[in-house]
Amino acid sequence: MSSCKSFREEFGKLLIEIGEKSDRVVVVTADVGLSTRASMFGEKFRDRYFNVGIAEQHLIGFAAGLAIAGAIPIATAFAEFILRGWEQIRNSVARMNLNVKIVATHAGYSDHADGASHQALEDIALMRVLPNMAVVVPADTADLRRCFEKLVLEYRGPTYIRLGRDYAPPVTEDVDYEYEVGKAYILKDGHDVAIIGAGVVLHEALVAAKELDKRGISACVVNLLNIKPIDVDTIVAVAKKTGRVVVVEEHMVYGGVGSAVAEILVQRYPVPMRLLGATSFGRSAKSQQELLSYYGLDNKSIIKTVLEVMNHE
Amino acid sequence: MVYPGVLDGIPIRMVKGDAEPILNSRELDEIEQLINLVEEARKDLLIMYQYDKHIHLESSLTSLEILATIHLFKKSSENLVDRDWLILSKGHAAPALYAILAELGVIPKSELININSINSILQNHPEISIPGVDVSTGSLAQGLSIGVGIATWIKSVGGCGRVFVVMGDGENDEGQVWESITHAAMLNLNNLIVVVDWNGHQHDGSVRKVKPKDYLPLVWRAIGWRVLWANGHDIVSLMIAIESALKSDRPTVIFAQTDKNRRVAVDVDLYAE
Repeated sequence: MSSCKSFREEFGKLLIEIGEKSDRVVVVTADVGLSTRASMFGEKFRDRYFNVGIAEQHLIGFAAGLAIAGAIPIATAFAEFILRGWEQIRNSVARMNLNVKIVATHAGYSDHADGASHQALEDIALMRVLPNMAVVVPADTADLRRCFEKLVLEYRGPTYIRLGRDYAPPVTEDVDYEYEVGKAYILKDGHDVAIIGAGVVLHEALVAAKELDKRGISACVVNLLNIKPIDVDTIVAVAKKTGRVVVVEEHMVYGGVGSAVAEILVQRYPVPMRLLGATSFGRSAKSQQELLSYYGLDNKSIIKTVLEVMNHE
Repeated sequence: MVYPGVLDGIPIRMVKGDAEPILNSRELDEIEQLINLVEEARKDLLIMYQYDKHIHLESSLTSLEILATIHLFKKSSENLVDRDWLILSKGHAAPALYAILAELGVIPKSELININSINSILQNHPEISIPGVDVSTGSLAQGLSIGVGIATWIKSVGGCGRVFVVMGDGENDEGQVWESITHAAMLNLNNLIVVVDWNGHQHDGSVRKVKPKDYLPLVWRAIGWRVLWANGHDIVSLMIAIESALKSDRPTVIFAQTDKNRRVAVDVDLYAE
């Protein structure tokens, strides 16, 4: 597998590949064709590439119209600014259950330099709450490659795919599984604690799990790339097996991945839990990793939290 | 007909009901039938209002002729890109659409009085689950963006479908209108026809009081739209404008002058709510 090590570079490549497979695929963006790499598709398929200008509400409505008429639109822009069209996503896309694929790039802290205004930390919560909407957060570029074609060409319905910008440390490259909508994947088995996460924080989770192994704590790491529909069985199974759950996400701790897992476990199999995530706006920094450490989402913070939940009575 | 004074002396092309005969040769009784259909639909609306005071009666009344005339032109096809589309972007006028659809036999007339009842298909804003409703709307200004998307895909694949979007004048306050009309002009969507129900009222009262809109036709024109006027209560005037729009090489907007206080045939307290 020759994946790029950048989310957006891989996204651009995948767009071209999928554009060749189906001439119903149309790419729409809002003056961020270059930043999202959607322009790579535009160079190849000029007639199926639309730049609506800096107009995110119309970006969504326009994509809804394309879908109604029979196209498969991929609407892409920065995650934060797609939220500007949230009510359009609700009323023009989700309410009619339209086959619009929204690819939100630069999510989380990945636009590290641009600071709070550009760092989407609320999008998973806001998309997850919408009826009909599927929410997918690939862990790395291999994961993106694994799920993208299925989500665009096979799965029918509104879909939100959340990507970072460039930083994409390998998480699933050596793991062998076939993507299925609604399924979670175990990246590392373990029996003392389950660390569940989505996106690049899983890299930190795996580093933490290795370190915990050395300290005699066996941690299971779960890739919850399908936030919605969610894999209830796998979540309940790992909770039963380990009895302790830590959720880590590059997103607000309110309403996001942790909340989704807690909603299931509190009803099906309550266990001691800790939720790691953001609690306020981000800031500018020199790298995404620096921000993950600054806001307590790196492997050290995960280890600390695991030790805490291990001592939970 | 009264045109806003701001347009005096400005060369926006106007099409009046008594302009040159550019109507296709239609039997006169077809027009008469349509006039009768509107009259029946108007009665339906007033009856619906007796059953549910939550329907938006005034906005529905001003849209009746517009919706009926569009249905005269609207062609169907199994093929998504060869059929015509009607998007009621001013979704609160849904009762008018339902009344027209009932008179056309698309939905049962007996269902009209059940609007907003818990088990009725008829919602106060359009839902695609209702026969004859092409697009769900209700949140203002979203219909036009959707129309631009449909019209674009039709042109992309060489279909012959046309897209009609009915908007309110108040709706033009929304920023999304700017986003969509600039895009439609750029794409030169001559298969897109917008009719603005120019009734002069929005939710909080007169548009002049809330936010004056006399400049709107000039803005649409400056962006690149073909701008026409019609008498929104006159079927022939609307037909002439639509015939003209269908031949246009650009996207066309028809400002259809209507009157919110017109022709309420029975004693209805419009301000009961």
